[in-house]
Amino acid sequence: MSKIWTLCLCASLAFLVGCSSGGKKVSRIDANSTTDLSGAWNDTDSRLVADEMIMDCLNRPWYQTMLQQKAGQLPTVVIGKVRNKSHEHINVETFIKDMERALINSGKADFVANAEERGELRDELASQAGNATEETRKDAGQEIGADLMLTGTLNSIVDQEGGEQVVYYQVDLELTDIQSHKKVWIGDKKIKKYISQDSVKM
Amino acid sequence: MKMKRLALLVVAALLFTSCANKSMTRYETLAPTLEKKGFEATISEVKKQKEDLYGSNSEFLYYYDLGVLNHYNRNFDESIKNLAQAEKIYEDLYTKSISNEAAAIVTNDNVRPYRARPFELLTLYQFQILNYLAKMDLDGALVEVKRSQIAMNALYQKDQDKVNDNGFLRYLSALVYDLDDEKDDAAISYYKAIKAYDESKMGVPNEVFEFVTESLRRMDREDDIRALKKKELESTPKATAVQEKGQEIVVIGYAGHSPILGEMYLSGTFVSGGVMNLYYKDGETGKKHDLVIAAPPVAGAGSETFHIGFALPEVRDHKSSVNQFEVSLDGKTRLKPEKVMAVDEELKRNMEDEKTSTIVRTAVRVILRTIAAQKAKSATNTGNGLFDLVKNIGVDVAQGQLEQADLRVGLFLPNSFYMTRLPVDAGSHSVSVAAQGPHGETIGVYNFDNIAVKKGQKVFLIVPAIK
Repeated sequence: MSKIWTLCLCASLAFLVGCSSGGKKVSRIDANSTTDLSGAWNDTDSRLVADEMIMDCLNRPWYQTMLQQKAGQLPTVVIGKVRNKSHEHINVETFIKDMERALINSGKADFVANAEERGELRDELASQAGNATEETRKDAGQEIGADLMLTGTLNSIVDQEGGEQVVYYQVDLELTDIQSHKKVWIGDKKIKKYISQDSVKM
Repeated sequence: MKMKRLALLVVAALLFTSCANKSMTRYETLAPTLEKKGFEATISEVKKQKEDLYGSNSEFLYYYDLGVLNHYNRNFDESIKNLAQAEKIYEDLYTKSISNEAAAIVTNDNVRPYRARPFELLTLYQFQILNYLAKMDLDGALVEVKRSQIAMNALYQKDQDKVNDNGFLRYLSALVYDLDDEKDDAAISYYKAIKAYDESKMGVPNEVFEFVTESLRRMDREDDIRALKKKELESTPKATAVQEKGQEIVVIGYAGHSPILGEMYLSGTFVSGGVMNLYYKDGETGKKHDLVIAAPPVAGAGSETFHIGFALPEVRDHKSSVNQFEVSLDGKTRLKPEKVMAVDEELKRNMEDEKTSTIVRTAVRVILRTIAAQKAKSATNTGNGLFDLVKNIGVDVAQGQLEQADLRVGLFLPNSFYMTRLPVDAGSHSVSVAAQGPHGETIGVYNFDNIAVKKGQKVFLIVPAIK
């Protein structure tokens, strides 16, 4: 008999637990710390891949060759299109920004604005031509042409079975000589993540 | 002691009944709003009544319905956001809660979080792909194509004996690959689209087969065409024109309103090991039916009678005004898009797939609860005839109240998806789409003027005739 009452009580409690919701907590953490919550591509992946690939790129033989060709002048790089061909909606802009930061901070290459930013700068220049004073006005036709363009793709492969998933990301970057269209460097960086999810919880 | 038990029983019953079936209320509240006031007003109503109409157990449906409505309303960013949230909820619900499952055994399936039906999940990806295509975000559409393939693989792994593929989703994926110039992937998806259509009841639409044939021939996959075992086409004029011109306008029409789920409630009495008299009312005709079946033996029951009631979900068609389209391009070409997906058939197939598990779960629940109620009645008897009678009726009523079928389903899906592809020259075009009833009568006209089609572009037009 007592089993029936225990069952009723357990079910009631289970129901209450099911209907309850947790509170929210917020705490600040270091922006450079590694955080993996969902297993998806995150800021840590973006930062680490950008740093490693740019360092790899600038330490390859093409760099010295180009320095010699330019009589010691730093090569100028522009970042072109980086396409997201993975299975996740990845903010490619933050990845590009991470690469731009790594490039500038390396001190080994000059870096010019990309096509979109150049358009905006040219609009500003055109606006200055009609509105700014002669002393402060900037002249058109003084842009620095880039020597090299960095382009790339972000791919992923997912293998899953039940609550287990292995996600493999591959970032491919290519540095191409704008004058000759010769590819001077090709690099890749791979990340593999194992994600598991329990099939039951209390 | 007995009074304490009675109080406990009342509290337990109150707790359970407080979680009433919201599916009926949701439909009764939102369907008239959609019909009379349109998408914007329905979106506001859904948001305003989130707790009353959906609650935490139907969170998937809340975001899913909002995503679908926003898609119809051309709020593509909002639609993307809501559908992505619904997808996340679906993924998180892979982990089943023991407490919820236990509660469902003694109450009803509505206390379990709603996990989405396979066709709802696949439709989610279709809407997401179309959202990104409408925004001209090819990379975004490609991501959704890949996510949909992962989801289909997972569904296949889970239920290998059920059909968890979708011809339209495969066809749409092929189109996205085509747009990205990934011709091999496009050909594979086109091939899989035919396979998926063959698995479903609706068969392969003619235009789909033409585009599939053209793609496979172009990619030197003649063997694949033969493997499809279909009458081969001599020519593929439309598909060839799309390839030669390089541009096209794709019209996607949503016709009618998908069916909903109604409740079939059966009730009756039985004597242990004797006969069970069951009665049920047909939800659509209102006609009462009865049937007599053998009753299960209940240990130690003697000659006492048991009252039982159980509720099962059943598909109820929603009368749709629109069930075909006529498209005219630049005031000249007139053609009828073909049906590329039948949501009503998908729901019926899903109900058929789930039938055995639903009946088993319902039977276990009803038997457990009936025995518990019977024990409770005898344990709380006071010897006062009138009081016991009233109390026993109360226990039966409370038990009956607990029994509710799980009627949850996406509320705003169309009854059918239609599609046609129009090869065009680069430049400005106008398209007019007439939404028609079963006899060709015009229900509504959707005009798209000055559509700018750039070289190599595919422009997607969405016609939400959810009427």
